[in-house]
Amino acid sequence: MKRLFALYADAMDNISVFVGQACSVLFFACIAISALEVVLRYGFDAPTLWSTELAMTLCASAWVLSVGYVTQRHRHISITMLELLVGPKVWHIFRLLQMVIATGAVIVLSMALYHPATKVLARTEYSGTALNSMAPTYLKVLLLVGTVFYILQLLANIIRWVQGTEGDVSGGH
Amino acid sequence: MGIEIITLLIVISLLALMAIGLPLGITTLTVSLATAVLYFGERAGFFVVAANVGEVLHKYELIAVPFFVFMANVLERSGIAKSMFDSMAIMGGRFRGSVGVQTTFVAVLLAAMSGIMGGEIVMLGLIALPQMMRLGYDRKLAIGIICAAGALATLIPPSVVLIIYGLAAQVSITKLFAASAVPGLILATLYVIYILVRVRLRPEMAPVYDVPETGLPFFQRLKYLKGIILPGILIGAVLGVIYSGVATVTEAAAIGAVGAVIVAGVRKELTWVMCRDAMRQTVLTVGSIIWLVIGAVSLIGIYNRIGGGDFLRGVLTSLDIGPIWVIVVMMLIVMVLGTFLEWIAIIFITVPIFAPVVVDLGFDPVWFGVLFAMNIQMYYLSPPFGPACFFLKSVAPKEVTLQEIFVAVLPFIALQAVGLFLVLAFPQLALWLPAMLD
Amino acid sequence: LSAETLNIQTSFNAGDFSTQYITENWLPKIEEMTEGRISIVLTPNGSVVPAKETPEAVAAGLLDGDFTSVNYFAGLEPAYAIMGDLISGYDTPEQMLGFCKDGGGEAMMQKAADAVTGGEVKVVACGPYSREALAARTPIRTFEDLAGKKIRSPEGLAAAVFSAAGASPVSIPFSEVFGALEKGIVDAADASAYVNNDATGLQDVAPFPLYPGIHSMPSMQFTVSTAKWESLSAEDQTALRDWWYDAMYAMAAEVAKQDAELAARDDAGDKVEVINWAQEDRDQLRVVARQEWENYATKSELAKEALDAHIAYMTQIGLFK
Ligand code: NA
Ligand code: NA
Repeated sequence: MKRLFALYADAMDNISVFVGQACSVLFFACIAISALEVVLRYGFDAPTLWSTELAMTLCASAWVLSVGYVTQRHRHISITMLELLVGPKVWHIFRLLQMVIATGAVIVLSMALYHPATKVLARTEYSGTALNSMAPTYLKVLLLVGTVFYILQLLANIIRWVQGTEGDVSGGH
Repeated sequence: MGIEIITLLIVISLLALMAIGLPLGITTLTVSLATAVLYFGERAGFFVVAANVGEVLHKYELIAVPFFVFMANVLERSGIAKSMFDSMAIMGGRFRGSVGVQTTFVAVLLAAMSGIMGGEIVMLGLIALPQMMRLGYDRKLAIGIICAAGALATLIPPSVVLIIYGLAAQVSITKLFAASAVPGLILATLYVIYILVRVRLRPEMAPVYDVPETGLPFFQRLKYLKGIILPGILIGAVLGVIYSGVATVTEAAAIGAVGAVIVAGVRKELTWVMCRDAMRQTVLTVGSIIWLVIGAVSLIGIYNRIGGGDFLRGVLTSLDIGPIWVIVVMMLIVMVLGTFLEWIAIIFITVPIFAPVVVDLGFDPVWFGVLFAMNIQMYYLSPPFGPACFFLKSVAPKEVTLQEIFVAVLPFIALQAVGLFLVLAFPQLALWLPAMLD
Repeated sequence: LSAETLNIQTSFNAGDFSTQYITENWLPKIEEMTEGRISIVLTPNGSVVPAKETPEAVAAGLLDGDFTSVNYFAGLEPAYAIMGDLISGYDTPEQMLGFCKDGGGEAMMQKAADAVTGGEVKVVACGPYSREALAARTPIRTFEDLAGKKIRSPEGLAAAVFSAAGASPVSIPFSEVFGALEKGIVDAADASAYVNNDATGLQDVAPFPLYPGIHSMPSMQFTVSTAKWESLSAEDQTALRDWWYDAMYAMAAEVAKQDAELAARDDAGDKVEVINWAQEDRDQLRVVARQEWENYATKSELAKEALDAHIAYMTQIGLFK
């Protein structure tokens, strides 16, 4: 059983890192599209109707999908002042508490996001703009997927806490 | 339960959760979800959080943040930042504190190309902080300069805070931009004076760059300007793109990112690995910032729906004090709301209540807009909920803790209070420039 | 009888003329009309949920109702675009208010509301109160002048109409509009009524406003949750609907008056030149627009039904022969 949990933690870490690093590509594309729009509009007098929405969607994807990577690297921002007061042993317990509360909160958030996501899957929501893309539908589902990623990586971090296999944890949880 | 009790409970639970080290985004999210479900029940409570959280992914202003972060990462990793600060240090010669002053000057330039605070602070944090630390600057002094000068993005036009204020209060945005320029420069001047006084009193805070070049006569040092040329062209190009009407502020940030890659190429420092690592770092930084925003917006709708606005209106109308003190109370309210709400939320809650009162009292809403932006800037820096500090933390070296940042910004918050007081006492500081344009 | 306070979110911005006008002049009236049985609290745009989420918020009971610009819902159901702003269609807000009140507009809006929520939202009334001026930094004096102009118009139907008229629609976000006009990134932008553009100083950076406007007349909806609606007496239901239409007709007249005064003032000065299109140019644009309405209406059956209702009413009042 212990090995199974360890395997899960390793697998989840790898998935989070892979997906997170893949998000780089989305940001590259986002920069390229925004710069291209300037060239097309200013250089060729041919503004596009898709660049704003596409850039927004690509960036949003990277923001949401990188959550596993951020969590795996303990990069969420938090105040660690109390660590000096309570000492490392108590703080170690606090770290578990942080992860458990975070897991609970994100589970509740995913429950809150579940209804909007299923609703747009049943009846597609479009942007209503000139491009009229499916971005709103995509983003509502994406956000739900993001919270699931977050929860799965938090579970992996909790396993590492229990098994004492955490790496550098000087950042957030 | 009255709204004052709920407000108090919200603040206390936020502080408690923050204290045990829960990530700040999750802290606000937890309190939002709990308040929403307790107050509105499951269906409506879930919906108000989901709807506002979902809207974050449509906030176009935010896409400039990854552009700035990537630009800064490239400048830092390619060594451009290092030679720029070497040049600056040499040009400053044996003059103590020169790099701190120069950084403030660079921050003012960057503020003129950025409309949002977060973008500029992460940029300075990536470029200037490691370099100032390398040059032996006191860490707290360096952090304070970066947070305070970086927050100028919101006062020096273009500024998203002023645009939103203008839309919410129906005040001329042209006039707001004109009115905020002088107060922005006053703040920058105050920072410079502070830096010079501080390093005169405690010389070890800003050691003179100890290389033989700094001892050369001024005209011989001029050849070391070359480290500033390429980044200077880059900043000039981005500013040029904005002010000539080629691109919007957000698009200009993307052009800056492309420009940074080109500059690295010109210096033959461009490699695939460097670009890839810069982008991976960008993903981590922006990924942590976005959860701060998600947490902060999730409280907006709840607080409004349970009557936060009416509560504030009640507070203001029950006052029996002189007009200028009403303005002071308004400023205090913004500070208090700043402990648990995001700035957009603060604007939307307070501006509709404040603006008519300000006009009734016989004040100029343009002047109040500038005071408001200066106030938002103070909230941005102040603990416990100081987004500027969080943004810097997201890019600072690991050994820099959030509490250290909070301590470092305190003197600068005091300086901002001085600036705010000056504009409060002498409205002409803000109003003469828009009056000239009329 | 207990007093009912309705929490209504509007899509007006907090400082808009319309917010102040309704709050000061009309919110007290509903209390008078119902002898204190109904009062309304109006909260500004985005204060509780983003504007496009209000139908669901009303359905969930988070809001008691909404007072929202219908165009925000265009992505939920194409019929909302046709009902929300029939680009270059009606000449005056009163005409379209008539369509809503007496020409089947309300019934159409109810169908759309039922399509996007589970029958939990009651459409009480609908209609516009202003015709938007087109903010322009270069003169656009005739239909032909539209050719090649970059016009900020993110909404689908408006972009299609401008594009068909030879202009290049640009879809920059609202927060960038001011800077884009100031710096000349776009030649013109759809913004708001003349009175609102005047307040935010848009005429400073775009000194050739087209007034009266040529394209947009955004329609609003007034809804109340079905549960709340059914708890009201028939008398109060009627009062609520009458109150809203009275308020909208009065506001339409007031905005038209203020717009005209400000435009006359600006035109008399030398900084701003107010451009008023000749009738033949307006007619030319309407012909081009009608083709785009019909293209748009193919997006859904409800959209087709909405357009047919519009055309029938417009024909009836003589806008089409
Ligand atoms: Na700025
Ligand atoms: Na603060």
